[in-house]
Amino acid sequence: MRRPAGTRRRSAGGLAARTGTIDAVTTATRAQPSRVRRRITSLEVLCALLVLALALQGWLNRVLDVPALRTGSTVFVAVCVQAMPFLVLGVLVSGAIAAFMPAAVLRRVLPRRTALAVPVAGAAGVALPGCECASVPVARRLMQQGVPPAVAVAFLLAAPAVNPIVLVATAVAFPGRPEMVLARFVGSLATAVVTGWLWARLGRPEWIAERALRRLPATEGGSRWAVFAETARHDLVESGGYLVIGGLTAAVLNVLVPSGWLAAVGGQAALGVLVMALLAVVLALCSEADAFVAASLGALPLLPRLVFLVVGPAVDVKLIALHAGTFGRSFAVRFAPLVFVVAVGCALAAGLVFLS
Amino acid sequence: MRRETQNIVLVLLGGALLKIAVNGTYLRYVKPALQPWLIAAGTVMLVLAAVAIGRDIRTARRAGGAVPAEAGHGHHDHGVHGGNAHLGRPPRSPWLLLLPVMAIFLVSPPALGADTVNRAAPRPPAAGDPAKSTAFPPLPAGDVVPMKITDFVTRSAWDGTNALDNRAVRLTGFVVRDPAGAAYLARLVITCCAADAWPVKARLAGVDTAVLRNDEWVDVVGTLVPGSATQGNQYVPTLTATDVHPVPAPADPYEY
Repeated sequence: MRRPAGTRRRSAGGLAARTGTIDAVTTATRAQPSRVRRRITSLEVLCALLVLALALQGWLNRVLDVPALRTGSTVFVAVCVQAMPFLVLGVLVSGAIAAFMPAAVLRRVLPRRTALAVPVAGAAGVALPGCECASVPVARRLMQQGVPPAVAVAFLLAAPAVNPIVLVATAVAFPGRPEMVLARFVGSLATAVVTGWLWARLGRPEWIAERALRRLPATEGGSRWAVFAETARHDLVESGGYLVIGGLTAAVLNVLVPSGWLAAVGGQAALGVLVMALLAVVLALCSEADAFVAASLGALPLLPRLVFLVVGPAVDVKLIALHAGTFGRSFAVRFAPLVFVVAVGCALAAGLVFLS
Repeated sequence: MRRETQNIVLVLLGGALLKIAVNGTYLRYVKPALQPWLIAAGTVMLVLAAVAIGRDIRTARRAGGAVPAEAGHGHHDHGVHGGNAHLGRPPRSPWLLLLPVMAIFLVSPPALGADTVNRAAPRPPAAGDPAKSTAFPPLPAGDVVPMKITDFVTRSAWDGTNALDNRAVRLTGFVVRDPAGAAYLARLVITCCAADAWPVKARLAGVDTAVLRNDEWVDVVGTLVPGSATQGNQYVPTLTATDVHPVPAPADPYEY
């Protein structure tokens, strides 16, 4: 809707020369319907929505006055409010990479062979403190700067799980059990590296939406801060929307999934591992909080709780929504099951080595 | 969604975060330590939106009084923009950001309460190490000992010194009535945000509990019924109350 209108104006302003003939033809064919629809812009829709919401405020509050809906709306706002600061941190880093780290520098820093670059990127995840929402825009920006997707994927998985804040939180939640911290670190790093290698082997470029890979045009030095601000702003409004989907899903599942599941699985090892892995996906907890939740499930042995800690930061409903929005749906439907299987496998391996 | 609209949504979202961070409502949703983060995030959002709006206006002026709608294309020409502008299809996902904005400004969901307590699976208090059961410090002196419900529940289950026996304690929490009609004094414990809340509760006895309503905040003075927290009842202790009186809900409804 915006483009035909804009292009049309631009032609009027005499700037059409650079858009070329093909664009001019599309403009001509598209301009007809858009002339009618052009009157309603998103700005007016927004105003109408806000007025409508204000008018219906009383009704809205009455509808939401059911215990389950009240609980759901609180959890929804909580997930969004809790994740927003970390998303902001992520888009600032993403903007900084776009503006101040030219593709050439990144290529020099990372080993040329993908197989070697994957573990390097995984280890680099230690440096980005924050929840998993922060690493999504950063990974996308890395891809745009020409980093191979497999390498960016390794960073995406490692950053939220192996950074110092999360490891300290785990140590605090499991006092006197340093092996739990070690097992989580190794399990999560292995998940990132193994998934990166598998993606290098099996992944196809066309699975990732074209918009996520497009190179940014090289910019002249003076406007770097402009690139920084614009990239951060753009990433924030876009990823923020997907984060909201994740928050909604988490809120619905929080209310609907019977937490009696846990009591039922008790000591059965195999079932416990599976239930805890699925629970990590549906609960979508922040990676700084999940250790405390895992610690409080005293009825379960350590191994299923480790699986919970390794799977959660790698794949959950909130992340699936963010991935689908950022990298495209065909990426998300392949990536989520792959990561789930790899994470469960790596957690079990790390658990058998360190926890027994 | 157009660029200008995105900026307005960003201003609204940043404003919403600042509002709850400043007026204290954020305590219903997240732990207190997140306050500076929320203020920083809200400020960054406002600054990013202001920078973009300022640039749009400047570009529009330079273009000769054109409407700001052209500004996006002005950047297009200068090659300063994020990914999606190239596709010609503006992103739709920013619309979803209006959901938390409206939830915060219009609905302002309350802190979690009785519904969450009844929904949650029983979760026995941590620290079930029998060797440490005598490591609890002695209770402070005084007629009535004020305590967090978490501490009360943990001590009732694991304190090998039985320091709580015959000591009057003061607990503050909200009332929860389970489907069977029993009344509990409860509090929710969170570690990061309300999504990870779990309940701690003590069963109320010794007073007429029929008058107590769900989610009513009360101050209770009473004593523990020794041995009432057992494995069979998921270590939920019973409190013989001598005085129950309503209090206003505290600013921070959760325990940590």
